[in-house]
Amino acid sequence: MTLKFAVLGANGFIGGRTVEMFHLSNLAEVRPIVRHYSSLARLSRFDLDCRIADALDQDALRDAFAGCDVVLQAVAGDSKTILDTLTPTYQAAQEAGVRRLIYLSTASVHGQIPKPGTDDNSPLSDEQPLPYNNTKVKAERTLRQLHDNGELELVILRPGIVFGPRSYWVASFADGLLSGTAYLINRGKGICNSIYVDNLVHAIYLAATRPHVDGEAFLVGDNETVTWADLYEPIAQALGFDLAHLPEAALLEPEPPTILDRFDTIRASRPAQLFLSLFPMKLRQAAFTGLTALREPPPSPWTMPRPQQPVASLEMAMLFQCQYKLPHTKAAQRLGYEPPVSFSEGCRRTVAWLDFAGYPVSSRC
Amino acid sequence: MFTLDPVNVALVGCGAVSELYYQPALTELERHDLLRVKALLDPNAQRRQQLNTYFPEAIQVEGVSELHNSNLDLAIVASPSRYHAEQTIQLLESGLAVLCEKPMATTVVDGEAMVRVASQVQRPLAIGLFRRFFPATQTIRDILMAGILGQVQSFYCCEGGPFRWPVQSASFFQKDLAGGGVLLDIGVHLLDLLIWWWGYPVGIRYEDDAMGGLEVNCRINLTFAEGFSGEVRLSRDWAQPNHYVIYCEKGWLSWKVNNASEINMGLYDTKFALNGQLYENKFNRQRPSLGQPAYTFEQSFVAQLRNVVCTVRGIEEPAVPGQEGLESLKLIEYCYQHRSLMAMPWLGEAERSRVHQLGF
Repeated sequence: MTLKFAVLGANGFIGGRTVEMFHLSNLAEVRPIVRHYSSLARLSRFDLDCRIADALDQDALRDAFAGCDVVLQAVAGDSKTILDTLTPTYQAAQEAGVRRLIYLSTASVHGQIPKPGTDDNSPLSDEQPLPYNNTKVKAERTLRQLHDNGELELVILRPGIVFGPRSYWVASFADGLLSGTAYLINRGKGICNSIYVDNLVHAIYLAATRPHVDGEAFLVGDNETVTWADLYEPIAQALGFDLAHLPEAALLEPEPPTILDRFDTIRASRPAQLFLSLFPMKLRQAAFTGLTALREPPPSPWTMPRPQQPVASLEMAMLFQCQYKLPHTKAAQRLGYEPPVSFSEGCRRTVAWLDFAGYPVSSRC
Repeated sequence: MFTLDPVNVALVGCGAVSELYYQPALTELERHDLLRVKALLDPNAQRRQQLNTYFPEAIQVEGVSELHNSNLDLAIVASPSRYHAEQTIQLLESGLAVLCEKPMATTVVDGEAMVRVASQVQRPLAIGLFRRFFPATQTIRDILMAGILGQVQSFYCCEGGPFRWPVQSASFFQKDLAGGGVLLDIGVHLLDLLIWWWGYPVGIRYEDDAMGGLEVNCRINLTFAEGFSGEVRLSRDWAQPNHYVIYCEKGWLSWKVNNASEINMGLYDTKFALNGQLYENKFNRQRPSLGQPAYTFEQSFVAQLRNVVCTVRGIEEPAVPGQEGLESLKLIEYCYQHRSLMAMPWLGEAERSRVHQLGF
């Protein structure tokens, strides 16, 4: 019998490729679900039974899930969106008679610099430096609580750096190269826990169809152990850049507050606002203008333009320092997961997509 | 501005384009006493009511037949494109001038019928291909016609990005209702400009990525009568640089899409290039000077409406008459009839087999 598979967040990178691959490979009768009509644009290439439902609206979700066997939750967004959409999704799927929910988590629940030996069963912390990691840890916990009290099966997938056509990691690096802001840290020697998007979609299919995996979480990745330079090299080469010439980024350190910053804090307080309101508006505006000039003195007209050293975000700085390849042994054993696309083939397809998308590709790997 | 009785206008279709574009432009021209919005037409009462807040004197109607005997001069047809032909013909036959939003129709047969009826009833029919009102596109045309940079050698135009237009229903993405995807939607603007600059192409090669639905990406190779060729890329999928580049014998011209008042130009092998902000040219044979800054995007839209008002009053000819609007529609229809599937090199073997099997 044909698998009926709903994809919530179907217009995103992973949701979109899942729809495309499931439909074109005839893996399932796929039902894309998006929040707005405008999000149907990319999905409209296919003649599919698309639905509109806000992932916060349990009733709308229940109607959208009706008749489906499995739901993939691939909703992206800020922390609030990630967490607030979980209960409506789980409850709606349960009410609609769905058999299993697949939640797209992330390997980042183990941190960007996982300790050697980390695996699927390692304890998770929600006190990590990056708020996104903590949100995803809380999301997994919330779903597990719902699962403990519910009927609906749950499988959690934890992919690492998902690359491929339309991937943030690919596009942001390509855009950085073209705009002159691309960089490396430690020459890109850190381990990149990559997974080509089709390998993830393959894992999603296994998670949807394999028996006896209810309540399990799986790390999934590519077979090869690769570095960030390995991922970036084909992209740089295709766009006519030499990775060896990219600058090293400075690490973004939080700066200590200045006197003016402290003044701002005081000025924003309610007692200070009441006090300032005693002065005429014009006087307050003049004082503000004076302080702004102090804060940002205009550059000297004699200053020559010079290239700025790129600054890495905390997330990128941590990712580039990774020295451990996360295993997917459990996925191999329980799901039968074996990545069907090699890393080099994933890179080749990714570069070919850059050309398709209009990037000025000069050579192909 | 001039003094004439204001033109009485009906706004047919109260969706996003009417609220975001036509409403502020019509309000501006009402302020100049050039027109009065007298009627709002939409089957959706909520949408009519929303537009009525801007034009409180306008009556609300659900269908074109209710507009008869309303003392109207001009109808602006801004409904979904599948209704354009039928509504425009009804309105022309009832004696109104019509400004029809792009694309003027979803088929050439319908577009030709609109032009034929306009001719028969002797009423003006203008098409909302308003990029022709951009000072930048006019200046590019002037530079090309003057041959300042020599003969055109080639061109590359790319436009689009993730779709963000606030559509009110799924019909925009349904093949049988929308009539086309990105080519019909934004391609019609781009192709109209190319035809306006260089004439109808003599060579056309088209491919897109539709697989049972509407195209989201497409690529067109065009050759023009002067012998040069170029490529057009359109996307509702991925952010494009959104620029047109024209390579000539001596140098290049480029234009950032929808930047109405700026062009860039450079000579080959020179150290610097020009970022040209456009102004009114006040050259009076003695000394050159700059007048007012050239129209912005929004002002150009207003200028389009003013041109139509002046057409109704017999003072001007429509800048984009129906017959000219038809040209880009013909090109689009040709593309759809001769389409091939774009290579999508990320598809796996099973996917490619199925795509082949399904005959996309």
